[in-house]
Amino acid sequence: MKNFQLILCTALLAGLLGSTGAHAQGTHLRIAAAGNDLGTLDPHRATATPDIGVVSMIFNGLVRITPGKANPEAVEPDLATSWTSSDDKLSWTFTLRDDVQCHGGGKLTADDVVYSLKRAASKDKSSFFAEYSAFQAVEAVDPKTVKITLSKPVPGLLGLLVPYHGGNIVCKAAAEQAGDGFARKPAGTGPFEFVEYQPQQFVKLKANEAYFRGSPQIKEITYRYILSDASRDLAYQSGEIDLSYGRQDDNWIKRMRQLPNSKVGVFGPGELYNVHLNMTQKPLDDVRVRQAIAHAVQRPALAKYKGQEIAREADSVVPQGYLGHESVGLADYSPDKAKKLLAEAGYPDGVTINAIQTTLPSMMNTMQAVQAQLKASGITLNLAPVDHPTFHSQIRQDLSQVVLYAAARFPVADTYLTQFYESDAIVGKPSAVTNFSHCGVADAEIKAARTETDADKQKALWAEAQRKIVDQVCSVPVFEMLQAWAWKESLDFGYPVEGSLSLIPPVTEKTRFVN
Amino acid sequence: MTAFILKRIGFAVITLFAVLTLVFFIVRVLPGDPASVVLGDQASAASIEAMRQKLGLDQPMVFQYLDFLGGVVRGDWGVSMATGRPVVAEVLNVLPYTIELTVAALILGLAFGVPMGIWAAVNRNRIPDYLTRIVSLLGLSAPAFVSAVILLLLFAIQFRWFPVISSGQDTSLGGKLRDLALPAVNLGLIMAAYITRVTRSAMLEVLSQDYVRTARAKGVPNNVVVWRHAFRNSLIPVVTVVGLYLGILIGNSVLTEIVFNRPGLGKLIVGALGQRDYTMLQGMMVIYTFIVVVVNLLTDLVYGLVDPRVQYR
Repeated sequence: MKNFQLILCTALLAGLLGSTGAHAQGTHLRIAAAGNDLGTLDPHRATATPDIGVVSMIFNGLVRITPGKANPEAVEPDLATSWTSSDDKLSWTFTLRDDVQCHGGGKLTADDVVYSLKRAASKDKSSFFAEYSAFQAVEAVDPKTVKITLSKPVPGLLGLLVPYHGGNIVCKAAAEQAGDGFARKPAGTGPFEFVEYQPQQFVKLKANEAYFRGSPQIKEITYRYILSDASRDLAYQSGEIDLSYGRQDDNWIKRMRQLPNSKVGVFGPGELYNVHLNMTQKPLDDVRVRQAIAHAVQRPALAKYKGQEIAREADSVVPQGYLGHESVGLADYSPDKAKKLLAEAGYPDGVTINAIQTTLPSMMNTMQAVQAQLKASGITLNLAPVDHPTFHSQIRQDLSQVVLYAAARFPVADTYLTQFYESDAIVGKPSAVTNFSHCGVADAEIKAARTETDADKQKALWAEAQRKIVDQVCSVPVFEMLQAWAWKESLDFGYPVEGSLSLIPPVTEKTRFVN
Repeated sequence: MTAFILKRIGFAVITLFAVLTLVFFIVRVLPGDPASVVLGDQASAASIEAMRQKLGLDQPMVFQYLDFLGGVVRGDWGVSMATGRPVVAEVLNVLPYTIELTVAALILGLAFGVPMGIWAAVNRNRIPDYLTRIVSLLGLSAPAFVSAVILLLLFAIQFRWFPVISSGQDTSLGGKLRDLALPAVNLGLIMAAYITRVTRSAMLEVLSQDYVRTARAKGVPNNVVVWRHAFRNSLIPVVTVVGLYLGILIGNSVLTEIVFNRPGLGKLIVGALGQRDYTMLQGMMVIYTFIVVVVNLLTDLVYGLVDPRVQYR
């Protein structure tokens, strides 16, 4: 009997251990994203970084930014082979490829594109409808031709048609059939198609063998949600993950690089950390106080504190690398100047300002560092810590004098300027987005640039807007954080990874494991 | 007995109703808004308002409450405000994982805790007692996320016996057991620490009773004294602790779920809280309350099995 028990235990243990180690390699790509669970796979609703990552593998746009880049000027054909526009830039005609298959069957036609763009512009179906407000009509001229008529010129039109946010083209039949369920059963035309979603665990994708650029070399993708940084790193280290979302931290980068057969990529677009100052509230309504704050913040030290490789010092109110970004020169660090400005403004003993602050560690430690720097210039910054959803709610109710906000947007100056510095976006208004400073000093330039068809003039307008905003110190830009991912040395994306709109290295039909 | 159970069920219904009402209003008083979570941080105030209307959040709170109660009576728990899927379906998706983990931890806790407690009591103030007390103190004081990372470093990275990702990598029975092993040990160790201490003190009390001395004086062998005479009579506090701790275990499994990448109720509730998913939070709170009520009822019933003197009225 004892022998039997011993044999049983040994067999069970051998069974348990025997099945370890057979990690799939070769054509199965295992990705770890930082998140608790999937939010939505509806590309017209997805805003969270982990959601956008997986959506980017399922959908195409009419055009795309070359994989591995985040430069909106690197636009190339995607579903459309060519396009033309009228002289007044109000009418655009796109010719589609005729070899594109929808996931689940059916050829992609102009009807799908029309349906998709109308869906992106619909208030009920899309979170990005406002960006498509100039779309007067979208029509299918014939099965291969789509015509877009605009109510006013949109110079960044192609940027709205790349596979990002509303530019993702969905397949009409699948979207109509699924209704609200599309968020869990998406169908596009991309290199990978949706197979399965396991709550709190993973999304599984398989290769779209009919992909128009050729059958993907990776045949299966498991896209896992791993919330804990430590577990994600350990899963990568143990070989259970091939491509892992990283921490925005130089120590993490160094540690991952030291692992055998491991690579780390650091790329843009940058996420700009910006301290917005409410210009309507005392004492911040005085520009000298705002200037004092700008002089009291030591940007190089903060960037160094966040990490020399992952962070770079900000040089404007629009992140570097964005189309239209202008290095306008920010205030130098000088506690003496800050104190002098405060005295001139009638605050010789310093000022006290209040901020509602999220407890999210990366935001909290940044704000605490800013708080310590301001103190040296006689500026007391009181922080009221709240959890992240509360923070988002309260700053939109205009309850915080100072708001530290970190954001990466579609890399065109217009997006940033419109959402953070145009009067329409001031919090409290029905059209509010994220203008926490009540800044409106560059409305004319921002509006004019939006419809300026001459690229050079448009850039000049954006540069002028940035100068005005910096002069009036609507906000104090601090540093930009880049994206960091770790991947197996054997993983080849097929493109150099210099940037990525979806904030994940480009997983395309060319991605493969090499020996 | 039947009257007792019926009375307890009646109390349970009242408790559930009270919890439901409290949770309904508390989550809505919290700052934060599911509409803005659904739409993301680039959404305009107007579109957030439109989403609030779609979710019914623009209605007066009393109307929302009555609507919700009506749904509950009809067995409709509503749909998650964040995902649009039925609350019940979302919960049922992950409930088996939580039950697996809790039951496994409980079994491990009992398997290690009870013998260690008895061993310590029998050897009071000798080396086994000191050793057990130190080990159980360590078990009680080590935070679950620290012990989890240590277990992973040791058994998943160093020895490579178990996976870091404890879910869904291998669906065979062996694979499932392997997935469950480290998380269950992590939770089970804490449970074992509690049970060890309670068993020890209960046994010490019983062992000092007159009837034990009498049994020893009669020449009853030590084994029989400990296991038959003393152990059974020391079970009531152990059962109480197991009952109490089971509820806590289900609630506390969140850290273990996060570190070992297991789905479960804990992760679901943390996600719902972060997203201000009112309907999901309401559903989850009722489920937690229900579990605690049921476990308490079962604990009371087990008292009768353990101690025939207990009467149900």
